[in-house]
Formats: sequence, structure tokens, C-alpha cells
Amino acid sequence: MPKALLLLILIATLTLQAQQPVAKRSMVIAFQLYAGDQPLQPGTCYTTPQGDSVYIERFRFYVSSPRFNNSTTRQANGYYLVDMADSSSRYITLPINTAAPSQFRFLLGVDSLRNVSGVQTGALDPLNGMFWTWNSGYIMAKLEGISPQSPAAGQRFTYHIGGFRSTQNTAQQISLNIPANHRGDTLWVRADALRWFGPGFPLRIQENPVCHSPGALAVHIAGNYRHMFLVVQP
Amino acid sequence: MKHRITISVLILIILSCTGWIWADHAYLKPKPVTFTVPQGWPQPVYDFSQNPLTQEGITLGRELFYDPRLSKDGSLSCGSCHQQFSAFATYDHNLSHGFNNSLTTRNAPALQNLAWQKEFMWDGGINHLDLQPLAPITAEHEMAESLQHVLQKLKTDSRYRRLFKAAFGDENINTQRFTKAISQFVLTLVSSNSKYDRVMRGQDTFILPEKLGYQIFQQKCVSCHPAPFFTDFSYRNIGMPLDPVLQDLGRMKITGNPADSLKFKVPSLRNVMRTFPYGHDGRFFSTINLFDHYRKSIQQGPTTDSLLRKGLPLSNFEIGQLTAFLYTLTDTVFTKDPRFAPSGSGPSASPPKDVH
Repeated sequence: MPKALLLLILIATLTLQAQQPVAKRSMVIAFQLYAGDQPLQPGTCYTTPQGDSVYIERFRFYVSSPRFNNSTTRQANGYYLVDMADSSSRYITLPINTAAPSQFRFLLGVDSLRNVSGVQTGALDPLNGMFWTWNSGYIMAKLEGISPQSPAAGQRFTYHIGGFRSTQNTAQQISLNIPANHRGDTLWVRADALRWFGPGFPLRIQENPVCHSPGALAVHIAGNYRHMFLVVQP
Repeated sequence: MKHRITISVLILIILSCTGWIWADHAYLKPKPVTFTVPQGWPQPVYDFSQNPLTQEGITLGRELFYDPRLSKDGSLSCGSCHQQFSAFATYDHNLSHGFNNSLTTRNAPALQNLAWQKEFMWDGGINHLDLQPLAPITAEHEMAESLQHVLQKLKTDSRYRRLFKAAFGDENINTQRFTKAISQFVLTLVSSNSKYDRVMRGQDTFILPEKLGYQIFQQKCVSCHPAPFFTDFSYRNIGMPLDPVLQDLGRMKITGNPADSLKFKVPSLRNVMRTFPYGHDGRFFSTINLFDHYRKSIQQGPTTDSLLRKGLPLSNFEIGQLTAFLYTLTDTVFTKDPRFAPSGSGPSASPPKDVH
């Protein structure tokens, strides 16, 4: 009798173990927020490519469907909000299928489907302050701060970049090459906030201290910030 | 022998427990509600599969709709500007009254038949019903509250924790559940029992002026206000001059396209006699002012609707008959339905003498 019981427990344990998912390899994407070639710090003065002085106080962007070029499936719930104010938000863990992916890809912003599908949860919860209520749609990326060149109240500059309709689209497909000699389980990706100001479209704070709605200015700025990423070696 | 009895009893208990765990606890789950499409109406555009109606969900939505704690100072609920006796528009107010003696820039629209509506607000800026409550709750001149604070207030109220659990299975309160519950309630606000509807169903007949009015309506109004919703949900410029204070360009604010300047959503005419004043900024006090606008004061501009290029001639006789017809669109079954009134109160079908 006790032997049979032992056997039963053994079988049960084995069955449970078999149901555990097989541990996969994974890689951590670590975003480093930078201003030019310096780590981004609040309260520090930087100079934009247009020669304006900026203190950057808020820097946020959405990373959607992050994946490697050789992965077959996208992340199940692949929406992340990288936020200057929350250091834990800068790390994204992704599974790797094969040995060495050569590209890291993601959508900078939120795809149009999520912009028209009602209220979302998690990183896409409107609670995160990255959603326009009066003109439905996500703010794909945000950059705010203070600049002596700004004619706005409190010398503020405020760039809330959004718009998902065809002519106003600000979501950007990003593909980053991973160097062949990359080693380790962490991929460091630098995001340079100063690339919002140029080159490409020269964003002068004196002329445009504020962008709050979809349209031409937002599309221009999105055309700049799509180049802000760079894979770096530690 | 003794052991055998103990073991049998234990097995019996275990079996009954697993049976209970595996059973379908219909009495613990929210009770599904079927959304009824009125006879002859198209299928709704709202995706009910993403937010299935339940009795508990609708009840929670109604509590939220009538809860003034959704506003910053606890003075305004959704129901403050969307009053049942006015088909859920604001009775007798051109612009709605918001937080701290502020005024909004537009006239509160009636809330009815929302399941068939794809875009919301006068400019269509909101593309999903679930997103709609976020705008008035957070707008400075409306309820002026933050979403974080609203959810915080709900989470600290044990009654709401119970209501959310009943509607969604657990006590978790988040933006999505909050807005889905409000959607569930407002989706039930279907107006399809006016005299016009009874006549169309063969249950009633028009008196002569109503019948003549209906014929004039079919000639002069129906291209923008077709049945069964009495709107085609399009955006049009009916030649209302720009208000110098409000500077409201309407649809252009959303699309950025100059061709959309001064265009606003065609409003439904259901319950129109209860939803005065009229126009996106409530500038027309009565239907008489509206008729006068159409026949005398249409301002021709680059975006004025092509159907109004030559104005819209209406004789005094026609206006009289049209008015009689418009009265048949009043649905008192809807404005008196106790399911739509605040819980614990009777139907609020007749407006108070003074609403301010």
C-alpha cells in the first residue's frame, strides 16, 4: 500500500515537472539614455545641434514588438514604455531562438491598431500620461525640459509626438545592426535625446517650443528621432 | 475496518471538493445580457466580444455614470451634463457648466444609440466608445480630475471593490475595467420607441401635420438625417459663422485638413425636442431658430456643404408641419426608463423647474 502511494506521488511529480516550460536563452536589451556623448542627467545643460541650450527633465518613448531578426514569434505582450524617471523601465528581456541574431528591431511608438482599439492595459494604460483623450491616440514619445531660448512660459519646451493616421504617422520602424563580435547576454542601445533637434529637420526651440498634436511638425520631429538609437559596446 | 471507513469518508470529501472546484459556478459569474438590435436596424459597430454586456457590468457602469466623485471637487457626474429627461443631453444649456464656474466650448450631445456610433464628440476626435469618458473627466473645463485620482478614489471604496468583483471576477480596478463598465451602461441607452418608431412598426398612425411633416422631411432633411438614427454620422459645415470667442474650427482640429474647417458631426434628431439648445455651441435656442438659419442665414464659404449651396428654402407652413413631425421623434419610454435613472431613485423624466 505505501509503495503504491509513493509511486503515485512520483508519477504526479514527474508529470508536473514535464509541464514546466523549457528554459530558453534570453537577452536583455538595456537602453542608455544619452544627450550627445554624455549620459542624460536632469538639471544638466546640453547643447542641441542647433546651438540651443537645454535642460531635459522628461524623456519617454514606447518600444513595441521588440524582436530579433531571426526570431519567428513576436513578444506576446510586446509593449514597453522606456522612461527617464524609472530606471527599471530601461531593461527589456527577450528570448533568443538561435545563437547570434544580427539585428534588433522594434517599433518606436504604438501601432495604429492599438490606437483605435479602446482602452488598453499595462504599458499602454492611458494612466501613463502617454495618451491624448481629445483626439484619440498615443503619444509615441515625449521630450520636455527648459531652455533659455524658449519663448514659452517658464522657458519650457514640450514635445509630445503622436499621430498614427497615414499622413500624420509618427511611429517609426527601427532596425539596429548587432556587431558580429557582440558577446554576452546584454545588448546596450543608446538613445540620444539631442537627435530630436537635428540633423535632418532643424528643430529650433525659439521657433517651435511646443508640439502637442499630430501634424507636420510632429512628423518632422519623428523623422529626426528615428535616428537617435545606436548599439554600443560596454 | 475502522481505517477503511475513515479513508472512504476522506475520499468522499475530496471528491465533493474537487467537484465543487470544477463545477461551473454560474451563480458566482456575471449574468450575460443580450444586446437587442431594434427591428430593421443595422448591426452595431461596437465590438461586444471585447466587452460582453453583463447585468453586473451595467450596474457598475450606472453607479460610475452618476457618481460625482469622478470630478475634482465631487460636484459633477457624467449625469450632470447628460440628463435623462433631455435624452442625456444638457437641458436648456448652450454650453455645459464645468468645474469651478467654468464653461465648456460645446453643447453636450444626447447619449443614445451609441453602439452604432464609430466616432464621438462634435469633431469625431474620439475613435472608440471606451475612450470617451477619459476626455470629460480630465478636461479642465469639465470634471477637471486626473485619472490616477479617480481610480484611487474607487479603490479605497469597499463598495466599488465589490461591484468590480461582481462585474469582472476580482477586485482589481484599472482604467480598462473602469471605462468598459461605463461603456456597458451607456450602450444600453437605446432610443427606439418614439411615435415615429411605432408608426413604422404599424402600431400607430401619424396625424395629418405629422404625416405632411414626414413628407417634407423626406424631401428636404433626409440626406443628412436619414433613419433610423436621423444622422448619417458625417461631418458638415451648415454655414454657421465662426464664433469669435470660441474660435472652434471643428473637424479640422482633428484632421488638420483645411477642407474640414467649420465642419461638425451631423447630430441625431431623435428626441430633438428635448435636446435644445442646438448647434455645436448651442447657439440656436429653439428649432425655430434652426429653421430660420437654414432658410435665411447660411453663410457660404469654401467648406459650406454642397447641399446647402442654394440655401434651404422653407415656408412657414413647412416649418409648422416639420415641427409636428419632429415631435414624433420624442421617445418617452427612453426618457422615463427607470433602468437609466440613478440607482435608488425614480425615473427623472420631467426636468426640474430650474436647472443650473
